Amino acid sequence: MLQICDLGVAYGHAKVIHDLNLTLNPGEMVFIVGRNGAGKTTLLKTIAGLLKPMKGSITYNDQSIAGQPPEKLARLGFRFVAQDKKVFSELTVRSNIELAAYGAGEPMDKAWSKVTQIYPKIEEFRDMPAGNLSGGQREILLIGRALVGDPKVLLIDEPTEGLAAIVIQDIFRILSNMRNAVSAIIVEQNLSIVKRLADRIYVMKEGNLIREIADKSEIADSTQLETYL
Amino acid sequence: MIQTIVYGFTIGAILYFFSVGLALTFGTMRIINFAHGMVYAVGVYLFIAFLKVFDDSFLLALAASVIAMLPVAYIIERFIIRRLYGEGLDYAIIATYGVLLIGTDAIKMLWGTTSQPVNDPVGISIEVAEFGLPVYRIAIFACAVVLFLALRVFFKRSIIGRIVVAALEDSDGVRCLGLDVNKYFSIIFVLGSALAVLGGILYAPISSAEPYMGFHILLLAFAVVIVGGMGNLNGTFVAALALGMVMAITGRFWSQAANAMVFVVMALVLIVRSRKLDTD
Ligand SMILES: Nc1ncnc2c1ncn2[C@@H]1O[C@H](COP(=O)(O)OP(=O)(O)OP(=O)(O)O)[C@@H](O)[C@H]1O
Ligand SMILES: [Mg+2]
Repeated sequence: MLQICDLGVAYGHAKVIHDLNLTLNPGEMVFIVGRNGAGKTTLLKTIAGLLKPMKGSITYNDQSIAGQPPEKLARLGFRFVAQDKKVFSELTVRSNIELAAYGAGEPMDKAWSKVTQIYPKIEEFRDMPAGNLSGGQREILLIGRALVGDPKVLLIDEPTEGLAAIVIQDIFRILSNMRNAVSAIIVEQNLSIVKRLADRIYVMKEGNLIREIADKSEIADSTQLETYL
Repeated sequence: MIQTIVYGFTIGAILYFFSVGLALTFGTMRIINFAHGMVYAVGVYLFIAFLKVFDDSFLLALAASVIAMLPVAYIIERFIIRRLYGEGLDYAIIATYGVLLIGTDAIKMLWGTTSQPVNDPVGISIEVAEFGLPVYRIAIFACAVVLFLALRVFFKRSIIGRIVVAALEDSDGVRCLGLDVNKYFSIIFVLGSALAVLGGILYAPISSAEPYMGFHILLLAFAVVIVGGMGNLNGTFVAALALGMVMAITGRFWSQAANAMVFVVMALVLIVRSRKLDTD
């Protein structure tokens, strides 16, 4: 349903992604692994509409979406959770979700229940500024925010980066409950998470996807994956 | 001294009316908007013209000129500011400075270069400790306090206000929620322009109108926005009042230095702030 062909992305004159091809099938959870600076974030941002591709095509359900603005892609069901775990820190936790509900045209009750469903403890922080949340709670709030409305393609950038082991377990549980319900492209360096959740893995290096791993036994073999990190 | 303090609060209040829009456009759009001074000055001249139309009714002329400037502000945002997103600050400065020059020359052509006085609409003074304090000046300060509180409520409670607060911090994040930030920035831009016009009109009876009034307040307002922290609304309020007070107190003892002292204070704030950044 999502098809990327010959994608090229650059920051000014610095080409960061070259001739990249990727497919995402309905209900699939695809992981991207690769070293720092490989271009993983750049790829997700381009799909989300935050960066304009220099060349190539991105099609979603046979509709060309390359270069569309992020607000339009959001209305098509794209959801981007950025690597920096940046919430709207001055607004309350509830307000953070309220904006998402407003943007998606979903009633607040329904939006909020999606967040409490993945993380009931969030009720305690409802009226606090979101800036007071811990890193893990922020990530969970952002994932919850991404579930508001009718998400079709989740783009999540390093959800467990910099988090403590206990919170990583929470995030693992949340992601694993989402399997099959939505399609997702997740950038992740934590291989124990990748191998337990991935339907497919792409290995990214120097602006390209150099390998695709779809075989179940290969996915489960993290020693092989480690060589790419 | 009481008189000086009241004068300080008055100037501070006017600076606040003007600076809110400047701070918001910088905070949301990362644009230094010189055109703000043009909207302010043209708004005041329109007000003077409307005074004649409305038989010297201050409130009617005020409402008419603020309303008349709304489409002007919208056009500036839609056709000039919006094209400057993502371009360097220098482009924005050149383009909006051009608008300011055009506005100033238009005023000179239409109304001439002599300054135009405006009558104090209240015209009553109260006696405090043997000094006459014009009620009008106190009313201006009261308006600024009301505006400050109203904006706080607006940015805390209303959905538009909260979207703007969120966009000040992470506009990409807001866009990824399906919200068209440009639309909200437009609203904020027009709101800020209306407040500048309002401030200019409130100030006119004290200062009289002249073609370069937009330039003068713009320079002071830059100091306010820098001292208050770009895009920081509480900071803008405090900085406007504090710098207004600096002007009034300096002006009482050495009137030529009143404006210069504002920039001395600004420089001091910048030095202290950069020291703090270094030690952190
Ligand atoms: N705004 C930018 N301007 C110029 N170059 C950039 C910009 N952002 C990233 N780059 C460069 O593009 C390359 C890819 O960066 P990107 O952030 O996509 O990598 P990444 O795979 O997400 O890395 P990480 O694992 O550190 O998050 C890097 O070489 C980086 O220096
Ligand atoms: Mg990255």
